[in-house]
Amino acid sequence: MSGLREKILSTASDLFQTQGINSTGVDTIVATAGTTKMTLYKYFSSKELLILEVLKEGHQDFQTWLNDKLSANTKHPAEKLQKLFDYIEEWITSPDFNGIGFIKASAEFPKEDNPVHKLSAEQSQQFRQYIKQLATEANIKDADGLSLQLSLLFKGAVQAEHMQRGSDAVKYAKIAAKILIDGSLTR
Amino acid sequence: MDIFDSPWLINMLAKSSKTPQGRLLGLFDILNDWLKAPSFEQASVTLGAPNPLLISYCVEQAKSLGAENPELLAEHIVLIAQNAARHAITQPESNSLIHAKKVALALIQAQTQKTAITTNVKGSRSALYGVAASMVIVIGAAAIWAPMFIHSKSAQAQLVQQNQINTAINQNKALTAIDASRMYAKYEQMRQGTCQFPEVLQIPDEHKSIYLENVVGGKLPNDLADLGVANFYLEKVRCNFTPMLMAASK
Repeated sequence: MSGLREKILSTASDLFQTQGINSTGVDTIVATAGTTKMTLYKYFSSKELLILEVLKEGHQDFQTWLNDKLSANTKHPAEKLQKLFDYIEEWITSPDFNGIGFIKASAEFPKEDNPVHKLSAEQSQQFRQYIKQLATEANIKDADGLSLQLSLLFKGAVQAEHMQRGSDAVKYAKIAAKILIDGSLTR
Repeated sequence: MDIFDSPWLINMLAKSSKTPQGRLLGLFDILNDWLKAPSFEQASVTLGAPNPLLISYCVEQAKSLGAENPELLAEHIVLIAQNAARHAITQPESNSLIHAKKVALALIQAQTQKTAITTNVKGSRSALYGVAASMVIVIGAAAIWAPMFIHSKSAQAQLVQQNQINTAINQNKALTAIDASRMYAKYEQMRQGTCQFPEVLQIPDEHKSIYLENVVGGKLPNDLADLGVANFYLEKVRCNFTPMLMAASK
Protein backbone atom coordinates (compact mmCIF):
# COMPACT_ATOMS: atom_id res chain seq x y z
CA MET A 1 0.00 0.00 0.00
CA SER A 2 1.40 3.29 -1.05
CA GLY A 3 1.84 6.13 1.43
CA LEU A 4 0.81 8.61 -1.21
CA ARG A 5 -2.49 6.82 -1.80
CA GLU A 6 -3.24 7.02 1.93
CA LYS A 7 -2.28 10.67 1.98
CA ILE A 8 -4.69 11.45 -0.87
CA LEU A 9 -7.46 9.47 0.81
CA SER A 10 -7.14 11.19 4.18
CA THR A 11 -6.83 14.65 2.60
CA ALA A 12 -9.90 14.05 0.45
CA SER A 13 -11.80 12.72 3.45
CA ASP A 14 -11.06 15.87 5.48
CA LEU A 15 -12.00 18.19 2.63
CA PHE A 16 -15.20 16.31 1.80
CA GLN A 17 -16.33 16.47 5.40
CA THR A 18 -15.50 20.10 5.99
CA GLN A 19 -16.31 21.65 2.59
CA GLY A 20 -18.72 19.20 1.08
CA ILE A 21 -18.09 16.53 -1.53
CA ASN A 22 -19.47 18.28 -4.59
CA SER A 23 -17.79 21.56 -3.83
CA THR A 24 -14.32 20.05 -3.38
CA GLY A 25 -12.48 19.91 -6.68
CA VAL A 26 -9.70 17.51 -7.59
CA ASP A 27 -7.36 20.50 -7.88
CA THR A 28 -7.92 21.41 -4.26
CA ILE A 29 -7.29 17.83 -3.16
CA VAL A 30 -3.97 17.51 -4.98
CA ALA A 31 -2.84 20.95 -3.87
CA THR A 32 -3.63 20.20 -0.23
CA ALA A 33 -2.09 16.74 -0.37
CA GLY A 34 1.01 18.14 -2.06
CA THR A 35 0.82 15.91 -5.09
CA THR A 36 -0.20 16.05 -8.75
CA LYS A 37 -3.37 15.23 -10.62
CA MET A 38 -1.43 12.58 -12.49
CA THR A 39 -0.61 10.77 -9.26
CA LEU A 40 -4.19 11.05 -8.02
CA TYR A 41 -5.56 9.52 -11.22
CA LYS A 42 -2.94 6.79 -11.04
CA TYR A 43 -4.51 5.53 -7.82
CA PHE A 44 -8.12 6.59 -8.41
CA SER A 45 -9.24 6.60 -12.00
CA SER A 46 -12.00 9.15 -11.31
CA LYS A 47 -13.25 11.53 -8.63
CA GLU A 48 -16.22 9.25 -8.13
CA LEU A 49 -13.96 6.31 -7.39
CA LEU A 50 -12.07 8.44 -4.89
CA ILE A 51 -15.37 9.40 -3.19
CA LEU A 52 -16.37 5.74 -2.95
CA GLU A 53 -13.02 4.81 -1.41
CA VAL A 54 -13.24 7.65 1.11
CA LEU A 55 -16.73 6.50 2.11
CA LYS A 56 -15.66 2.88 2.51
CA GLU A 57 -12.72 3.80 4.68
CA GLY A 58 -14.75 6.25 6.79
CA HIS A 59 -17.48 3.75 7.43
CA GLN A 60 -14.98 1.06 8.30
CA ASP A 61 -13.34 3.38 10.83
CA PHE A 62 -16.65 4.27 12.45
CA GLN A 63 -17.86 0.68 12.66
CA THR A 64 -14.54 -0.61 13.99
CA TRP A 65 -14.34 2.12 16.61
CA LEU A 66 -17.90 1.48 17.75
CA ASN A 67 -17.48 -2.26 17.81
CA ASP A 68 -14.22 -2.07 19.78
CA LYS A 69 -15.78 0.28 22.31
CA LEU A 70 -18.79 -1.96 22.79
CA SER A 71 -16.83 -5.18 23.06
CA ALA A 72 -14.29 -3.72 25.46
CA ASN A 73 -16.74 -2.10 27.85
CA THR A 74 -19.82 -4.28 27.92
CA LYS A 75 -20.50 -7.94 28.51
CA HIS A 76 -24.21 -8.50 28.09
CA PRO A 77 -25.99 -7.98 24.78
CA ALA A 78 -28.72 -5.87 26.38
CA GLU A 79 -26.04 -3.63 27.85
CA LYS A 80 -24.45 -3.19 24.41
CA LEU A 81 -27.70 -1.90 23.02
CA GLN A 82 -28.09 0.54 25.91
CA LYS A 83 -24.51 1.77 25.55
CA LEU A 84 -24.72 2.21 21.79
CA PHE A 85 -25.91 5.80 21.95
CA ASP A 86 -23.41 6.65 24.68
CA TYR A 87 -20.60 5.87 22.25
CA ILE A 88 -22.35 7.50 19.34
CA GLU A 89 -22.54 10.61 21.49
CA GLU A 90 -18.85 10.31 22.30
CA TRP A 91 -18.05 10.06 18.58
CA ILE A 92 -20.28 12.93 17.52
CA THR A 93 -19.34 15.36 20.29
CA SER A 94 -15.60 14.81 19.94
CA PRO A 95 -13.90 18.02 18.76
CA ASP A 96 -12.66 16.53 15.49
CA PHE A 97 -16.05 15.16 14.44
CA ASN A 98 -16.77 16.23 10.90
CA GLY A 99 -19.91 14.29 10.22
CA ILE A 100 -20.88 10.77 9.30
CA GLY A 101 -19.81 10.12 5.72
CA PHE A 102 -22.70 8.03 4.51
CA ILE A 103 -25.31 10.47 5.82
CA LYS A 104 -23.63 13.48 4.22
CA ALA A 105 -23.03 11.63 0.98
CA SER A 106 -26.63 10.49 0.57
CA ALA A 107 -27.78 14.10 0.94
CA GLU A 108 -25.26 15.34 -1.60
CA PHE A 109 -26.09 12.59 -4.08
CA PRO A 110 -29.86 12.20 -3.80
CA LYS A 111 -30.40 10.29 -7.06
CA GLU A 112 -31.16 6.65 -6.33
CA ASP A 113 -29.07 5.28 -9.19
CA ASN A 114 -25.94 7.26 -8.43
CA PRO A 115 -23.09 4.95 -7.27
CA VAL A 116 -22.25 7.24 -4.32
CA HIS A 117 -25.90 7.25 -3.25
CA LYS A 118 -26.04 3.49 -3.61
CA LEU A 119 -22.98 2.95 -1.45
CA SER A 120 -24.20 5.33 1.25
CA ALA A 121 -27.60 3.61 1.29
CA GLU A 122 -25.81 0.27 1.61
CA GLN A 123 -23.74 1.56 4.53
CA SER A 124 -26.84 2.96 6.19
CA GLN A 125 -28.40 -0.48 5.79
CA GLN A 126 -25.29 -2.15 7.24
CA PHE A 127 -25.47 0.08 10.26
CA ARG A 128 -29.11 -0.83 10.76
CA GLN A 129 -28.21 -4.51 10.47
CA TYR A 130 -25.59 -3.99 13.14
CA ILE A 131 -28.20 -2.53 15.50
CA LYS A 132 -30.58 -5.35 14.62
CA GLN A 133 -27.89 -7.87 15.50
CA LEU A 134 -27.41 -6.24 18.92
CA ALA A 135 -31.19 -6.19 19.45
CA THR A 136 -31.53 -9.86 18.48
CA GLU A 137 -28.74 -10.85 20.87
CA ALA A 138 -30.54 -8.88 23.57
CA ASN A 139 -33.62 -11.07 22.96
CA ILE A 140 -35.78 -8.25 21.71
CA LYS A 141 -38.82 -9.60 19.97
CA ASP A 142 -39.24 -6.91 17.36
CA ALA A 143 -35.53 -6.48 16.64
CA ASP A 144 -36.27 -5.38 13.10
CA GLY A 145 -38.66 -2.62 14.18
CA LEU A 146 -36.38 -1.40 16.95
CA SER A 147 -33.39 -1.28 14.62
CA LEU A 148 -35.38 0.87 12.19
CA GLN A 149 -36.45 3.17 15.02
CA LEU A 150 -32.93 3.56 16.38
CA SER A 151 -31.40 4.12 12.97
CA LEU A 152 -34.01 6.81 12.16
CA LEU A 153 -33.23 8.42 15.50
CA PHE A 154 -29.49 8.24 14.86
CA LYS A 155 -29.71 9.59 11.32
CA GLY A 156 -31.90 12.53 12.33
CA ALA A 157 -29.60 13.41 15.21
CA VAL A 158 -26.53 13.37 12.97
CA GLN A 159 -28.29 15.54 10.37
CA ALA A 160 -29.32 18.01 13.06
CA GLU A 161 -25.72 18.05 14.27
CA HIS A 162 -24.45 18.55 10.70
CA MET A 163 -26.67 21.62 10.43
CA GLN A 164 -25.56 23.02 13.73
CA ARG A 165 -22.60 21.86 15.77
CA GLY A 166 -23.30 21.49 19.49
CA SER A 167 -27.04 21.19 18.91
CA ASP A 168 -27.64 18.76 21.80
CA ALA A 169 -29.45 16.51 19.31
CA VAL A 170 -27.51 13.45 20.45
CA LYS A 171 -28.15 14.21 24.10
CA TYR A 172 -31.91 13.93 23.58
CA ALA A 173 -31.53 11.08 21.10
CA LYS A 174 -29.78 9.14 23.84
CA ILE A 175 -32.72 9.60 26.24
CA ALA A 176 -35.20 8.74 23.47
CA ALA A 177 -33.19 5.62 22.59
CA LYS A 178 -33.44 4.44 26.16
CA ILE A 179 -37.21 4.98 26.13
CA LEU A 180 -37.51 2.98 22.89
CA ILE A 181 -35.23 0.18 24.07
CA ASP A 182 -36.98 -0.11 27.44
CA GLY A 183 -40.33 -0.14 25.67
CA SER A 184 -39.33 -2.99 23.39
CA LEU A 185 -37.74 -5.01 26.20
CA THR A 186 -40.93 -5.11 28.23
CA ARG A 187 -43.12 -5.94 25.26
CA MET B 1 -43.60 17.85 -5.96
CA ASP B 2 -42.15 17.68 -2.51
CA ILE B 3 -44.85 17.25 0.08
CA PHE B 4 -42.64 18.79 2.75
CA ASP B 5 -42.83 22.14 0.96
CA SER B 6 -46.56 22.09 0.60
CA PRO B 7 -48.83 24.46 2.57
CA TRP B 8 -51.40 21.66 2.42
CA LEU B 9 -49.30 19.68 4.89
CA ILE B 10 -49.40 22.46 7.50
CA ASN B 11 -53.17 22.85 7.01
CA MET B 12 -53.63 19.15 7.56
CA LEU B 13 -51.44 19.25 10.65
CA ALA B 14 -53.44 22.11 12.13
CA LYS B 15 -56.60 20.06 11.72
CA SER B 16 -55.12 16.76 12.85
CA SER B 17 -55.41 17.16 16.61
CA LYS B 18 -56.44 19.40 19.47
CA THR B 19 -53.13 19.03 21.31
CA PRO B 20 -49.69 20.24 20.23
CA GLN B 21 -48.27 16.76 20.72
CA GLY B 22 -51.02 15.33 18.52
CA ARG B 23 -50.27 17.89 15.83
CA LEU B 24 -46.56 17.03 15.86
CA LEU B 25 -47.23 13.30 15.69
CA GLY B 26 -49.96 13.88 13.09
CA LEU B 27 -47.15 14.54 10.62
CA PHE B 28 -46.41 10.83 10.45
CA ASP B 29 -50.03 9.74 9.99
CA ILE B 30 -50.63 12.30 7.26
CA LEU B 31 -47.48 11.26 5.39
CA ASN B 32 -48.35 7.61 5.80
CA ASP B 33 -51.84 8.11 4.38
CA TRP B 34 -50.53 10.31 1.62
CA LEU B 35 -47.92 7.80 0.50
CA LYS B 36 -50.39 4.92 0.66
CA ALA B 37 -53.00 6.74 -1.38
CA PRO B 38 -53.45 5.02 -4.75
CA SER B 39 -53.31 8.28 -6.67
CA PHE B 40 -49.84 9.30 -5.72
CA GLU B 41 -47.25 9.26 -8.44
CA GLN B 42 -43.66 10.27 -8.45
CA ALA B 43 -43.59 11.20 -4.81
CA SER B 44 -40.34 12.82 -3.95
CA VAL B 45 -38.90 13.86 -0.67
CA THR B 46 -35.81 15.99 -0.57
CA LEU B 47 -32.98 15.26 1.73
CA GLY B 48 -31.30 18.17 3.39
CA ALA B 49 -32.50 21.28 5.13
CA PRO B 50 -36.21 20.99 5.94
CA ASN B 51 -38.76 23.56 4.82
CA PRO B 52 -38.60 26.63 7.13
CA LEU B 53 -42.38 27.11 7.21
CA LEU B 54 -42.95 23.55 8.33
CA ILE B 55 -40.16 23.87 10.88
CA SER B 56 -41.57 27.06 12.38
CA TYR B 57 -45.03 25.51 12.61
CA CYS B 58 -43.53 22.55 14.46
CA VAL B 59 -41.46 24.83 16.71
CA GLU B 60 -44.72 26.46 17.83
CA GLN B 61 -46.16 23.05 18.70
CA ALA B 62 -42.97 22.05 20.51
CA LYS B 63 -43.11 25.28 22.53
CA SER B 64 -46.74 24.67 23.47
CA LEU B 65 -46.03 21.22 24.78
CA GLY B 66 -43.21 22.55 26.94
CA ALA B 67 -40.15 21.13 25.20
CA GLU B 68 -36.79 22.12 26.66
CA ASN B 69 -35.37 22.94 23.25
CA PRO B 70 -38.32 23.46 20.89
CA GLU B 71 -36.21 24.39 17.83
CA LEU B 72 -34.15 21.23 18.10
CA LEU B 73 -37.18 19.02 18.76
CA ALA B 74 -39.02 20.40 15.73
CA GLU B 75 -36.01 20.02 13.48
CA HIS B 76 -35.21 16.51 14.65
CA ILE B 77 -38.82 15.37 14.20
CA VAL B 78 -39.09 16.81 10.70
CA LEU B 79 -35.76 15.25 9.70
CA ILE B 80 -36.95 11.88 10.98
CA ALA B 81 -40.19 12.31 9.03
CA GLN B 82 -38.23 13.10 5.85
CA ASN B 83 -35.98 10.09 6.24
CA ALA B 84 -38.87 7.81 7.06
CA ALA B 85 -40.91 9.07 4.09
CA ARG B 86 -38.01 8.39 1.75
CA HIS B 87 -37.64 4.98 3.27
CA ALA B 88 -41.37 4.35 2.81
CA ILE B 89 -41.15 5.20 -0.89
CA THR B 90 -38.43 2.64 -1.55
CA GLN B 91 -39.65 0.04 0.97
CA PRO B 92 -43.39 0.48 1.51
CA GLU B 93 -43.66 -2.74 3.52
CA SER B 94 -41.31 -1.48 6.24
CA ASN B 95 -44.00 0.66 7.96
CA SER B 96 -41.25 3.18 8.47
CA LEU B 97 -43.60 6.07 9.23
CA ILE B 98 -45.28 4.13 12.02
CA HIS B 99 -41.89 3.39 13.53
CA ALA B 100 -40.84 6.99 13.00
CA LYS B 101 -43.88 8.15 14.96
CA LYS B 102 -42.74 6.08 17.93
CA VAL B 103 -39.31 7.67 17.68
CA ALA B 104 -40.86 11.15 17.61
CA LEU B 105 -42.95 10.35 20.68
CA ALA B 106 -39.83 9.17 22.52
CA LEU B 107 -38.08 12.42 21.60
CA ILE B 108 -41.02 14.44 22.90
CA GLN B 109 -40.84 12.48 26.15
CA ALA B 110 -37.08 12.99 26.32
CA GLN B 111 -37.57 16.75 25.99
CA THR B 112 -40.41 17.04 28.49
CA GLN B 113 -39.65 14.51 31.23
CA LYS B 114 -37.23 16.70 33.13
CA THR B 115 -39.65 19.54 33.69
CA ALA B 116 -42.08 17.09 35.26
CA ILE B 117 -39.65 15.03 37.31
CA THR B 118 -38.04 18.16 38.78
CA THR B 119 -34.48 16.94 38.90
CA ASN B 120 -31.74 18.85 40.61
CA VAL B 121 -29.97 19.64 37.34
CA LYS B 122 -29.43 23.37 37.08
CA GLY B 123 -30.52 23.88 33.50
CA SER B 124 -33.81 22.10 33.83
CA ARG B 125 -34.49 23.88 37.09
CA SER B 126 -34.22 27.27 35.56
CA ALA B 127 -36.45 26.07 32.73
CA LEU B 128 -38.93 25.02 35.37
CA TYR B 129 -38.88 28.40 37.04
CA GLY B 130 -39.27 29.95 33.63
CA VAL B 131 -42.37 27.88 33.02
CA ALA B 132 -43.67 28.70 36.48
CA ALA B 133 -43.05 32.40 36.00
CA SER B 134 -44.81 32.47 32.67
CA MET B 135 -47.76 30.61 34.15
CA VAL B 136 -48.02 33.25 36.87
CA ILE B 137 -48.17 35.93 34.20
CA VAL B 138 -50.87 34.04 32.34
CA ILE B 139 -52.82 33.51 35.53
CA GLY B 140 -52.26 37.12 36.55
CA ALA B 141 -53.59 38.31 33.22
CA ALA B 142 -56.51 35.94 33.54
CA ALA B 143 -57.29 37.37 36.97
CA ILE B 144 -57.39 40.92 35.61
CA TRP B 145 -59.68 40.02 32.74
CA ALA B 146 -61.60 37.46 34.66
CA PRO B 147 -64.81 39.50 35.08
CA MET B 148 -64.96 40.03 31.32
CA PHE B 149 -64.06 36.61 30.11
CA ILE B 150 -64.96 34.36 32.94
CA HIS B 151 -68.01 32.82 31.34
CA SER B 152 -66.55 32.16 27.95
CA LYS B 153 -62.96 31.39 28.78
CA SER B 154 -62.71 29.86 32.19
CA ALA B 155 -64.25 26.51 31.35
CA GLN B 156 -61.93 26.10 28.43
CA ALA B 157 -58.92 27.35 30.37
CA GLN B 158 -59.67 24.98 33.20
CA LEU B 159 -59.86 22.08 30.80
CA VAL B 160 -56.50 22.95 29.27
CA GLN B 161 -54.96 23.45 32.67
CA GLN B 162 -56.45 20.23 33.94
CA ASN B 163 -54.76 18.39 31.08
CA GLN B 164 -51.43 20.00 31.88
CA ILE B 165 -51.73 19.12 35.52
CA ASN B 166 -52.68 15.55 34.78
CA THR B 167 -49.73 15.00 32.50
CA ALA B 168 -47.40 16.69 34.97
CA ILE B 169 -48.68 14.51 37.77
CA ASN B 170 -48.68 11.30 35.77
CA GLN B 171 -45.06 11.80 34.85
CA ASN B 172 -44.30 12.88 38.35
CA LYS B 173 -43.85 9.44 39.86
CA ALA B 174 -40.29 10.17 40.84
CA LEU B 175 -40.97 12.73 43.54
CA THR B 176 -38.28 12.33 46.09
CA ALA B 177 -36.99 13.66 49.36
CA ILE B 178 -35.24 16.35 47.37
CA ASP B 179 -38.59 17.69 46.26
CA ALA B 180 -39.92 17.63 49.80
CA SER B 181 -36.92 19.60 51.04
CA ARG B 182 -37.30 22.05 48.18
CA MET B 183 -40.91 22.50 49.15
CA TYR B 184 -39.88 23.24 52.72
CA ALA B 185 -37.45 25.84 51.44
CA LYS B 186 -40.22 27.41 49.42
CA TYR B 187 -42.57 27.49 52.43
CA GLU B 188 -39.80 29.25 54.32
CA GLN B 189 -39.46 31.86 51.60
CA MET B 190 -43.19 32.35 51.46
CA ARG B 191 -43.25 33.19 55.16
CA GLN B 192 -40.63 35.89 54.68
CA GLY B 193 -41.95 37.67 51.64
CA THR B 194 -45.05 38.96 49.95
CA CYS B 195 -46.26 36.30 47.63
CA GLN B 196 -48.57 36.23 44.70
CA PHE B 197 -50.68 33.09 44.67
CA PRO B 198 -52.51 31.71 41.68
CA GLU B 199 -56.25 32.45 41.80
CA VAL B 200 -58.23 29.65 43.43
CA LEU B 201 -60.87 30.21 40.76
CA GLN B 202 -58.45 28.90 38.15
CA ILE B 203 -57.89 25.64 39.96
CA PRO B 204 -59.97 22.52 39.36
CA ASP B 205 -62.37 21.64 42.21
CA GLU B 206 -60.64 18.43 43.26
CA HIS B 207 -57.38 20.31 43.79
CA LYS B 208 -58.77 23.29 45.68
CA SER B 209 -58.46 21.81 49.16
CA ILE B 210 -54.94 20.54 48.53
CA TYR B 211 -54.01 23.95 47.19
CA LEU B 212 -55.47 25.84 50.14
CA GLU B 213 -54.07 23.57 52.80
CA ASN B 214 -50.70 22.61 51.39
CA VAL B 215 -49.72 25.59 49.30
CA VAL B 216 -51.43 28.62 50.82
CA GLY B 217 -51.44 27.00 54.28
CA GLY B 218 -47.82 25.92 54.02
CA LYS B 219 -48.24 22.40 55.33
CA LEU B 220 -46.34 19.55 53.67
CA PRO B 221 -48.80 16.88 52.48
CA ASN B 222 -48.52 13.32 53.74
CA ASP B 223 -49.85 11.64 50.65
CA LEU B 224 -47.53 11.21 47.65
CA ALA B 225 -50.22 12.01 45.12
CA ASP B 226 -51.13 15.17 47.02
CA LEU B 227 -47.45 16.05 47.16
CA GLY B 228 -47.36 16.02 43.38
CA VAL B 229 -50.38 18.27 43.13
CA ALA B 230 -49.14 20.65 45.81
CA ASN B 231 -45.69 20.82 44.27
CA PHE B 232 -47.21 21.69 40.91
CA TYR B 233 -49.02 24.70 42.35
CA LEU B 234 -46.21 25.63 44.66
CA GLU B 235 -44.01 26.19 41.63
CA LYS B 236 -46.49 28.82 40.51
CA VAL B 237 -46.32 30.94 43.64
CA ARG B 238 -44.14 33.95 43.05
CA CYS B 239 -42.70 35.92 45.91
CA ASN B 240 -41.53 39.40 45.07
CA PHE B 241 -38.32 39.42 47.10
CA THR B 242 -36.88 35.98 46.39
CA PRO B 243 -33.49 36.55 44.86
CA MET B 244 -32.83 32.84 44.32
CA LEU B 245 -35.96 32.33 42.33
CA MET B 246 -35.42 35.41 40.24
CA ALA B 247 -31.80 34.55 39.61
CA ALA B 248 -32.72 31.07 38.57
CA SER B 249 -35.34 32.21 36.16
CA LYS B 250 -32.88 34.29 34.18
